[in-house]
Amino acid sequence: MPQAVLEVRGLTKAYGQIEALKGIDFEVAEGEVFALIGPNGAGKTTALRVVATILRASAGSVSVEGIDALKEPDRVREIISYLPEEAGTYKSMTGETYLKFVANLFYADPEKRSAALERGRVIAGLDERLGDKSGSYSKGMARKLLLARTIMTEPRLAILDEPTSGLDVLNALEVRDIVKRYAKGGAAVLLSSHNMLEIEYVSDRVALIHEGRIVDTGSPAELKLKHGADTLEDVFAAVAS
Amino acid sequence: MRRFLVLLKKELRELLTPQMLVPFLVAVLMFAFLGSILSQEEEKTRSTQSIGVVDLDETDTSKSIERALDNAGFAAVDLGGTAPESMTEELRARNLSIGLYIPEGFEAQVDAGRPADLQTYAVVRSFSLMSLGQTEMLKSVLSAVSSSISSQLIAEGMPGTDPDAVKHPVEFTEHVAVGTMEAPVPLDAVYGLIEQQTLFIPIILFIVIVFASQMIATTIASEKENKTLETLLASPITRRSLVMAKMVAAGLVALLSAAAYLIGLGYYFKGLTGGTDTLFETSSGTVDVASALGLGLETVDWMMLGTTLFLSILIALAMAVIIGGFAESVKSVQALITPLIILTLIPYFLSMLIDIESTAPALRAFVMAIPFTHAFTAAPNLFLGNQMRVVLGAAYQVLWLLALVVIAARIFSTDRILTMKLGFRRRRHRTANP
Repeated sequence: MPQAVLEVRGLTKAYGQIEALKGIDFEVAEGEVFALIGPNGAGKTTALRVVATILRASAGSVSVEGIDALKEPDRVREIISYLPEEAGTYKSMTGETYLKFVANLFYADPEKRSAALERGRVIAGLDERLGDKSGSYSKGMARKLLLARTIMTEPRLAILDEPTSGLDVLNALEVRDIVKRYAKGGAAVLLSSHNMLEIEYVSDRVALIHEGRIVDTGSPAELKLKHGADTLEDVFAAVAS
Repeated sequence: MRRFLVLLKKELRELLTPQMLVPFLVAVLMFAFLGSILSQEEEKTRSTQSIGVVDLDETDTSKSIERALDNAGFAAVDLGGTAPESMTEELRARNLSIGLYIPEGFEAQVDAGRPADLQTYAVVRSFSLMSLGQTEMLKSVLSAVSSSISSQLIAEGMPGTDPDAVKHPVEFTEHVAVGTMEAPVPLDAVYGLIEQQTLFIPIILFIVIVFASQMIATTIASEKENKTLETLLASPITRRSLVMAKMVAAGLVALLSAAAYLIGLGYYFKGLTGGTDTLFETSSGTVDVASALGLGLETVDWMMLGTTLFLSILIALAMAVIIGGFAESVKSVQALITPLIILTLIPYFLSMLIDIESTAPALRAFVMAIPFTHAFTAAPNLFLGNQMRVVLGAAYQVLWLLALVVIAARIFSTDRILTMKLGFRRRRHRTANP
């Protein structure tokens, strides 16, 4: 049994009177891609943001590699990376400068910096366009740059919110492959997506989240079998209705 | 520290873009250019002025007027026998601004002890500030004419008497005390000197506070709008470093802009006022007003002034960080920054127009509670030797700054940086996903 990289227990998050998360539990193991799926407003992004340490939990616990993310967020940020939905780049920076900025932020050792930068260049796959200002990139190019930024530092846990949002078919396929390959290397990936085909293709396990609660968890095959559905979309529709 | 420097470099790169630098350099060059034009105009005003003269009297008295004008620095241009109704036309044709018409019988009227008739003509070509010099010129002409004739009358009526002693029977020696020092100098010279020394400090401070505040609030709003803030918040950087990097970067750019504005406005005001001259002629000789009254600033005074100015900029930046956190978009920054501008405008205008210390207690307490007030009043206080007030003001500013930095860092440490919004639009329906 692979070791859990992320453990979430009884996670609750309230915005004033509104409870976005009502005590959710899940874990993501080494080499696993774990997906949160659910309708808009179900609490997926909130869950990802709490795990990414940018929102504070109202109750419950989150630990990454055994480090309490609520008590020691600075330590956790060293070993995670977060790609928000619709994230942008610094438009006046070139892609290369942006990747250098991230490498410099994470590594003091010049060799590690160079290695991370090289990984970023390869993942982004933008070749000579890396020298252009990111403000001139298409949505697909910007998304690939951001994905490169997210996993070039080899985080133990990569948190990806709608990683292929706005991408065309070819770019989306490329991104999914990158994500799968990355997880196979031993890291954990927590992602959220509205694209059920993508979830089915890339995820090892899926949690169905509805109105702030996880209503079911399992592999795509298990969930389809359990809900008597042909596709994950049918499972999603059954749970959401 | 390493990560702070990486972040600082990134912030500086974001701020020092051509879009930011070009308008700023244009403004500075414009001030320098305006200063150069004003300086040239001032030089023209100072050079020998020509005045059109029609002398139909052609007597010793009328000739003495022309000599008096010559002594007063005017070059008389003979307009021959131009008729009064053609004077303005003739002046225009010769590109002259001032004309003097001495009618026939002028000397006879003076000798008869009757007010003599003499006409002046002024051709107004513009209402610019520099054109106001024409008024001074006309006054000088009338004064020179009147002085010349009265001296002539005194010399004729009271032989052996010094006409100047009759015209000015009382000689005033003004004494001015500032702080513990006193000197026999004119009061207006002291005010003129202080005005010249302190005129552009509040202007630059105001410009820099507004500029720097908008800059930092915009960068934070832009990070929120472009969704780069979320990735930054999930990166291994402490919240304090994040806030400080933004503030230091904006502070450095603000100082750079202050230095550039100082140079640009320096040229501008030098052109406008003709430069700072601290030497004044008095009855007892030439006096350096600045040293006689201790109105020069020592190194320690300049350091105090610099400290209070820099603290003001940092306070404005800390306020702007908080404001930027509230901003929903870059567009909303302008509206959100308005209270900060008003908070700067109040002490800016009041310190220029009135003595804040002598206002009603309630108003004084209100104005002194504004942290920027202490920067606007620092220069006059230092000139008056009230160093302790400046030190206390700076200490008060430090308290403000610490409180604001703590608040800003707390906002960045909590959900509020992502959830709080003030966009001046109808509030959207709240959803579970922020």
